Amino acid sequence: MLNIKDLHATVDGKEILKGLSLTVNAGEVHAIMGPNGSGKSTLAHVLAGREGYSVTAGSVSFDGKDLLTLEPEARACEGVFLGFQYPVEIPGVSNLTLLKAAINARRKYRGGTEIEAGDFLAWIRDRAKIVKIDPKMLSRGVNEGFSGGEKKRNEILQMLILEPRLMILDETDSGLDIDALKVVSDGINTLRSPERATVLVTHYQRLLDYVQPDFVHVLARGRIVKSGGPELARELEEKGYGWLEAA
Amino acid sequence: MKLEAYRKAFEQLAAGLGDTPSRDSRRAQFERFAAVGFPSKREEDWRYTDLASLSEKQFALPADGGDALIPQALADSQQLVFVDGRFDAARSSTQQHIGNIATTETADDDGLAALNAAFASPGLDLQLAAGQVLAQPLHLLFLGSGSATGTMTHQRHRIVLGSGASASVILEFARDSADERLATHTLSIELGANASLRLYRLQRESAGATLLTRIDARLDRDSRLRALCLDAGGGFVRHDCNVTLAAPGCEAEVHGLYVPQPRAHVDNHTRIVHAAPHGRSREHFRGIVGERTRAVFSGKVVVQPGAQKTDSEQRIANLLLSKRAEVNAKPDLEIYADDVKCAHGATVGQLDETALAYLRSRGIDAATAKALLLRAFALEILDHVEFAPLRRHIEDILDFPDDPELDRLIEAIA
Repeated sequence: MLNIKDLHATVDGKEILKGLSLTVNAGEVHAIMGPNGSGKSTLAHVLAGREGYSVTAGSVSFDGKDLLTLEPEARACEGVFLGFQYPVEIPGVSNLTLLKAAINARRKYRGGTEIEAGDFLAWIRDRAKIVKIDPKMLSRGVNEGFSGGEKKRNEILQMLILEPRLMILDETDSGLDIDALKVVSDGINTLRSPERATVLVTHYQRLLDYVQPDFVHVLARGRIVKSGGPELARELEEKGYGWLEAA
Repeated sequence: MKLEAYRKAFEQLAAGLGDTPSRDSRRAQFERFAAVGFPSKREEDWRYTDLASLSEKQFALPADGGDALIPQALADSQQLVFVDGRFDAARSSTQQHIGNIATTETADDDGLAALNAAFASPGLDLQLAAGQVLAQPLHLLFLGSGSATGTMTHQRHRIVLGSGASASVILEFARDSADERLATHTLSIELGANASLRLYRLQRESAGATLLTRIDARLDRDSRLRALCLDAGGGFVRHDCNVTLAAPGCEAEVHGLYVPQPRAHVDNHTRIVHAAPHGRSREHFRGIVGERTRAVFSGKVVVQPGAQKTDSEQRIANLLLSKRAEVNAKPDLEIYADDVKCAHGATVGQLDETALAYLRSRGIDAATAKALLLRAFALEILDHVEFAPLRRHIEDILDFPDDPELDRLIEAIA
């Protein structure tokens, strides 16, 4: 599904990704771990097409399509979703406005018609239950006045509503208490299916107790330095990253 | 000779008036204008709005019988339609509230007021007796015909509300033609004790149009003026809005949104004078200024001696969408009383790129995402529009991605 080959990317002229390769197949959950500054968030943003990140070499294909040539909105419409580490507050644009526009953009991209108001509302209510968000909150501006945990749950809600095929979650677990972490994990697991893939970018092993990864990769100095199964995460928890960074 | 074309036009007008007192007083006004001319850039109030080129223009008076495309009427309102500065009774839904406002004395040094008074044609004359309530908003449409190229129109209007009376008035300036034209409008407002006026001024003139408007309002005890100004056109525009809170307990809201089209020039000059205690004024202006466009805002607030317990707030915020956009925003406070609350602030910023990226990451195309953010910025002003059909009309003018069905949903869910 996702094929990253020898990816090099710079931010403000500084090379952050230095030859990263990764293959993610449908149905798989990959965890990408690594110390601060190793390039985890950069990878997530490059995949989502965020401005300010330039790819200097390498390729990324998504279902055989060259992802890097697509605009960010086209990537989203193709089924790539990025859960932000720091979700943005947008007063004046309600969550419902964002969600309806996002759903209709996707439908339009695929040549479909706009969603009916009744269907939209029913779908929102159904999904909001999973992440325990009161639909009332959705009449407010995007993330406006939301707590840190609510913002992360709102990211997962958007994901549940848009049903992407590739979910990239950038430290969605950071700063969550255990109850919120369970809610977020339930949301991720709800979408887990043989047709979908997940990339969890995380700093902590804790999330992986709730969302079992198939593969764990360690990112250091802009490339993947070690890959393994779920046991690698536990090893990292015990030993830290020092032994890999030194390697 | 300077202002020659104006004199020629005036003689033409005077000939039609015969030997009447009106002609004589108009002539006196014209001579005053001829002596003073248009305001100069050297005057502080006209620093950014240069009218010098108007002196050389050859504007004529429009011919009778001009025809214009009349836009669809707003629901639940009464229309008064003016084409080329003349009341078009046939296209209006009421013939009431039209009048020739007697030419009053103008200040010696105010050339523009004198010009307007010399040429003034009939305009709005809304006078409500004590306690009278205007059932529906009055919507005045100032349109231009295709045959009015190179013409000028001047109109005077008046709103006088008796004590406890209330009304809503919409002034919409929408001459849609790329030709050069000049229009001046003056509106005097007197609000009696506890009277209430909602005033909306919408401007969507096209490039080539010069529009100069001036509002002078005097508020008596406990009266309320709520004014909202929208500028969405492409012309060369200057608005003056002077409000005097003349007696205790008055409230004045003067809000505005300017979203000028490329190459437009919009200058809003407001002056709010607190002349009595316990007055409250609110002034919120927001601007979205793009490519090769200039916006000027000058907001003067004067708190006179004795106007204690005044509560005044002025907030100006601008979004600059291009490096070739220009905004001159000038708050100007003069406070001569010591027990008052006066806040002010002016900001200039850019579109939030992080928010834009966030919306795009959810599949929303760049143009729609940008429009959503611009609307969000404008909402603080738009939310002051309480008359729903007008709100819709304004969102249409601004081409914002509004979705009434979704709005209902949001209200239902909240």
